[in-house]
Amino acid sequence: MTDPTDRTDPTETTGTAETDPPVDAPRGTLGDHGPIAVSTAPGIPAFDAHRPPSAELASDCVHCGFCLPTCPTYVLWGEEMDSPRGRIYLMQAGLDGEPMTDAMVGHFDACLGCMACVTACPSGVQYDRLIEATRAQVERRHRRPLRDRLLREAIFALFPHPRRLRALRGPLAAYRRSGLQRAVQRSRVLDRVSPTLAAMEALAPPVRPAPPLPARVAARGERRAVVGMLTGCVQREFFPRVNAATARVLAMEGCDVVIPRRQGCCGALSVHNGREAEAQAFARRTIDVFDAAGVEHVVVNAAGCGSSMKEYADLLADDPAYADLARRFAASVRDVSEILAELGPVAARHPLPVTVAYHDACHLGHAQGVRAQPRDLLRGVPGLELREVADADICCGSAGIYNLLHPVAAGELGDRKARAVLDTGAELLVTANPGCLMQVAASVSRMGGRIGLAHTVEVLDASLRGRTPAQLTRELALATPEPTGGASAGDTPTGTR
Amino acid sequence: MSTDTGTRVEHVAARLRTELGDDAVITDRARLRTYECDGLAHYKVTPAVVVLPRTTGQVADVVRACVEHGVPFVARGSGTGLSGGALPHAQGVLLVLSQMRDVIAVDPDDQRAVVQPGVINLQVSRSAAPMGYYYAPDPSSQQICSMGGNVAENSGGAHCLKYGFTTNHVTGLELVVPDGSVVRLGGRAPDPPGYDLMGAFVGSEGTLGVTTEITVRLTRAPEAVRTLLAAFPSTDEAGGAVSAVIGAGVVPAAIEMMDALAIEAAEAAVHCHYPEGAGAVLVVELDGPAAEVEAQFVEVERHCRDNRAFEIRIAADEAERALFWKGRKSAFAAVGRISPDYIVQDGVIPRTALPEVLRRIAELSRGSGVRVANVFHAGDGNLHPLVLFDDGVPGEAEHAVQVSAAILDLCIEHGGSITGEHGVGMDKAKHLPRMYTDDDLDTMQMLRCAFDPAHLSNPGKVFPTPRLCGEIPGRHKGPHPLQTAGLAEVF
Amino acid sequence: MVRGAKDDVSGVRPRLVASPASTEEVAEVLRVAKERHLAVVACGAGTALGWGAPPERADLLLDTRRIAGVVEHAAGDLVVTVRAGTPVGELQAAVAEAGQQLALDAPYPEATVGGTLAVSTSGPRRLLYGTARDLLIGVTFVRADGVVAKAGGKVVKNVAGYDFGKLLIGSFGTLGVITEAVFRLHPLPAARRVVSATFPQASTAGRAALAVLGSQVVPTAVELAGPADEVRVTVLVEGVEAGVSGRTDAVVRLLGRGATIHDELPAGFTALPFTPGGTGIKVTASLTGVGPVLAAAHSLGAQHGVDVDVRGSAAGVLHAGTGPAADPAAVARLVDRLRAAAALFGGSVTVLTAPADVRDVVDLWGPVPGLDLMRRLKAELDPDRRLSPGRFVGGI
Repeated sequence: MTDPTDRTDPTETTGTAETDPPVDAPRGTLGDHGPIAVSTAPGIPAFDAHRPPSAELASDCVHCGFCLPTCPTYVLWGEEMDSPRGRIYLMQAGLDGEPMTDAMVGHFDACLGCMACVTACPSGVQYDRLIEATRAQVERRHRRPLRDRLLREAIFALFPHPRRLRALRGPLAAYRRSGLQRAVQRSRVLDRVSPTLAAMEALAPPVRPAPPLPARVAARGERRAVVGMLTGCVQREFFPRVNAATARVLAMEGCDVVIPRRQGCCGALSVHNGREAEAQAFARRTIDVFDAAGVEHVVVNAAGCGSSMKEYADLLADDPAYADLARRFAASVRDVSEILAELGPVAARHPLPVTVAYHDACHLGHAQGVRAQPRDLLRGVPGLELREVADADICCGSAGIYNLLHPVAAGELGDRKARAVLDTGAELLVTANPGCLMQVAASVSRMGGRIGLAHTVEVLDASLRGRTPAQLTRELALATPEPTGGASAGDTPTGTR
Repeated sequence: MSTDTGTRVEHVAARLRTELGDDAVITDRARLRTYECDGLAHYKVTPAVVVLPRTTGQVADVVRACVEHGVPFVARGSGTGLSGGALPHAQGVLLVLSQMRDVIAVDPDDQRAVVQPGVINLQVSRSAAPMGYYYAPDPSSQQICSMGGNVAENSGGAHCLKYGFTTNHVTGLELVVPDGSVVRLGGRAPDPPGYDLMGAFVGSEGTLGVTTEITVRLTRAPEAVRTLLAAFPSTDEAGGAVSAVIGAGVVPAAIEMMDALAIEAAEAAVHCHYPEGAGAVLVVELDGPAAEVEAQFVEVERHCRDNRAFEIRIAADEAERALFWKGRKSAFAAVGRISPDYIVQDGVIPRTALPEVLRRIAELSRGSGVRVANVFHAGDGNLHPLVLFDDGVPGEAEHAVQVSAAILDLCIEHGGSITGEHGVGMDKAKHLPRMYTDDDLDTMQMLRCAFDPAHLSNPGKVFPTPRLCGEIPGRHKGPHPLQTAGLAEVF
Repeated sequence: MVRGAKDDVSGVRPRLVASPASTEEVAEVLRVAKERHLAVVACGAGTALGWGAPPERADLLLDTRRIAGVVEHAAGDLVVTVRAGTPVGELQAAVAEAGQQLALDAPYPEATVGGTLAVSTSGPRRLLYGTARDLLIGVTFVRADGVVAKAGGKVVKNVAGYDFGKLLIGSFGTLGVITEAVFRLHPLPAARRVVSATFPQASTAGRAALAVLGSQVVPTAVELAGPADEVRVTVLVEGVEAGVSGRTDAVVRLLGRGATIHDELPAGFTALPFTPGGTGIKVTASLTGVGPVLAAAHSLGAQHGVDVDVRGSAAGVLHAGTGPAADPAAVARLVDRLRAAAALFGGSVTVLTAPADVRDVVDLWGPVPGLDLMRRLKAELDPDRRLSPGRFVGGI
């Protein structure tokens, strides 16, 4: 018998810990092959009946652990609950009736959604579908602390809206006065946001109005395809040159490029963060816009957008009006490197003697399985030397808005990636996602390193147009800033020596 | 009484919070549940406390706290074990070593590396690769299994045929003994004086203490590696080829066999494009000095053809070699693609008994209607039959368990072992008496008693019944004192 | 049944000698010994009976030589089961008929399998094949209380239960009496070449040896031997003829000018540099420590006026011998200083055998990490301290 006053309770469970601490859970019988019983869960079950994570998909996991070394949060922290295997376990616990505690939500939130685990899994577990379903449940059923809610609302009031983003493109002081500050209101939250946004601002091209792209760019030479082009949110406002390069390259390779004016956000950020209804609305609108444009393929140059557009069929599966349409649309989506590989090169490549480190954006490599095409395109440029980055399958920490929500973890991952990139000694870092470019750039500059930054199509564009490496770097959307001065660095791209 | 044990472990948790900090001690229910099982997921026990130490000193703090309060502890690395060896104790502390993951030294001149127990096996080879060295033991899970776990399990791997197991490559260990003291055994030099405690510790499955630092031998990367994939009409011919190769005095780095069902699974998972219509494939790898490898490779090829291999592919480059291996190394998890559930066995037989045992397994499978896929290290007779079943279909699991047990019987009948590399753990403890007499087991447990008289280090694993340390064998009657204390159970 | 001085265990003469012919008979002998409280010293051919510290008591000498013969040679499995009293030379001859070998050099070919395991001797080939601990896959032994136990089995891959064989190897008969052993075998190589060269200093010889270890030659053995100003490096290359010649050339290039190629092993290649009645020392070091420790042995010998014969494997194990006439105090100082030198390279010095006057003034074992655990192990297996009491580390 123990004296109740003497009893220290080290647990943090949200249940009635005093009467039912985990240490008092009935023991399993350690006998034959039978599974071990665990105590009944306290509280309300984590998931409701509206599209919970599939128990069947979760049970595909055989707990082999092959996902662990590819998971960025496991690499950082080495804890089971911050690994794909652990998160699936938490989902199963939730399906078994465990309540959705702050701790549980914290581990779901910490997932970058990089999908490296999906690539690594020998059993074919569809973690992407599991985490998406889980996130939607979390958004609906879990009340986050006020601070987190405000931050999330601020982000979603900003990023999927190109015009609001444009308001941020001014000098740092200008955006501090902008709608973000009013939306966030609390200075602690702003502090949390500002380092990343400050870096982003520093890395953004000089404040010149981006020349609007025409609604249609005609194919050079023989027309081989009619494609629509997604201009994206961040891409359009922060990297307009990438869009321009994409349109030029596609045209030079024989595509009529249709660029619908009315297009908006594809919904990627929303779907990756469990904002299901919002994501569905964005998806319907995107489908409508391109459906009306009459194109064979929808070409995307931002990995995150392409990956979620390819999943519209899932997102709208329960919508009778859109299910079929979404399936057809999803099948027509191509990353720009994919369509170029499918079409095959016709335009002449001019030599571009530059060393390039290619970084696989998670939503291109892991989510879309597009790894060979961009490399082949780069290798097709005469004089270009392609170098691989060590630990290529580990996320850089950008992961959509992850670097805003989890700046510390994202910063550590960015630094790891930056170190691996700098170790290649390449002059230029090439990748297919704006988030990755900003993320790695921030780390490179923090570490005092220097490297040029470009999207795959910008390199290709330079080759097709016969630019020299010096001209390319001058034209590039990005280069890491001088380690000392942030805001003016964009004026003098300094990628190559 | 459970309240007592519960209170004791709470005291330990409180003390460890003070000593190691809140971040290192987990008692939250949901988090604890993610540590319920290792790679053998049908055994589940929620630990009372999970502790994540970062230093040897902290591991010693944990062990001391446990010993002083009579609380059991279980060490865990990456949780990839296949015998339930890291299954937690419900009233105990789970010591998770995944944060002790520094490669402390890589010294090519001494051909040694010094690592912490949470370092991943493959990381050792990666660290040594720039100097032209690697760490030879290569379990199929080498991309994630931890070195501490390898030491506990004496892990093997495909290339252990030529290079030996973990025990042949560990030259030094730092241990926290179950009394909380820190002991260093061996080091960079061979043959330390005294009993070879290090040799006994490797493979002791966490029952003799916790390893906190490991010194391993590094092996010079071979000048040449040649890999071939040979397809045979059936496992009989493939087995014949294995015997012929070994009989000719060739010691390949690895000889791996997969049967038709295993090939089907691997094909579904990783599209390894093995030859169509093969009843069995062999992956044979030779490594060493180039001229030596060339000469022996010709011989291996000839033995394969003589044994009716209908297609032989020779890896032209590293990519093709990787593809040959990918099919083999992913086979376990890949079986998940052709069957909802499966049991992996790890029996060993003398190599020459291969054809006979494989035929008997096929008969068992036909007779029971339970499908068995065979993937194994043919060179050293280590079988990994994957017994397939669907837990959703009533009765299938029981049938699978029966077939699985019958396969182990076959191994023992042929003078083999119940486990070649996965360990006894929780899963096979009940089978150990089929290999060893009571006297054998009693003797082994004298070693346990020397290290861990209170049976606090991974209790309930390996041995079906604990020995009362200091007892005269066979004299005690009634419940074992450890049972009454809630520390041990009878099976 | 007292026989003679040759049955002395380091000067202690047992009153009784037993010669059982089987495991069961050993068990019977040990049960009787237990009842009568007799201290037992197990012995094979007696080649290392003078090794270790003198036992505190030795009432019964247990001669294992009648427990002899190969039980089973499973050639197709490259495994042999052999009784402990079988001479290693006989075992080698038996398996050689099938083109196989136990890849363990025995410095004394007449030594028995059990004795070889109990004192864990090794030789040049340890570089490639390791030692007894890497080759023993199963063992049967009899405990102090007469209980027969076995560990391991007859398959090369086996992780069921504790690897008790490891504990018996090198335990000097203090944990139990080995009666049967199962070994993994290796094919006898088809071709062999020996390359040797001499160096004017141990340090350069050590560097040459390291160069061979770091190359792609994969030698079976790399030995260093000889006086301080003429250290000979001998490299054994084995394999198929097609490969051996090229590898031999590579060794010649690594050892430099003056390297010579031979088809046969030099005489006494596997012998220890010990002289009867003299002191025999084992010195270990990391690979990079071999050259420096060899140099230290030479210079310490000169410094203390002791004539030292040192040789050994580049794998990190050297043996040193001094004559019976060496000054005990000088030998003791040499051991101390050499111990300090070896410790710099993670190594140790143990005095395997020595005349009484040297034993009296020297620390035979040096520091033994884990000694407390070893004592606890001994107490579990032999609580009455009746198996070779006092013969092993820390007076175990």
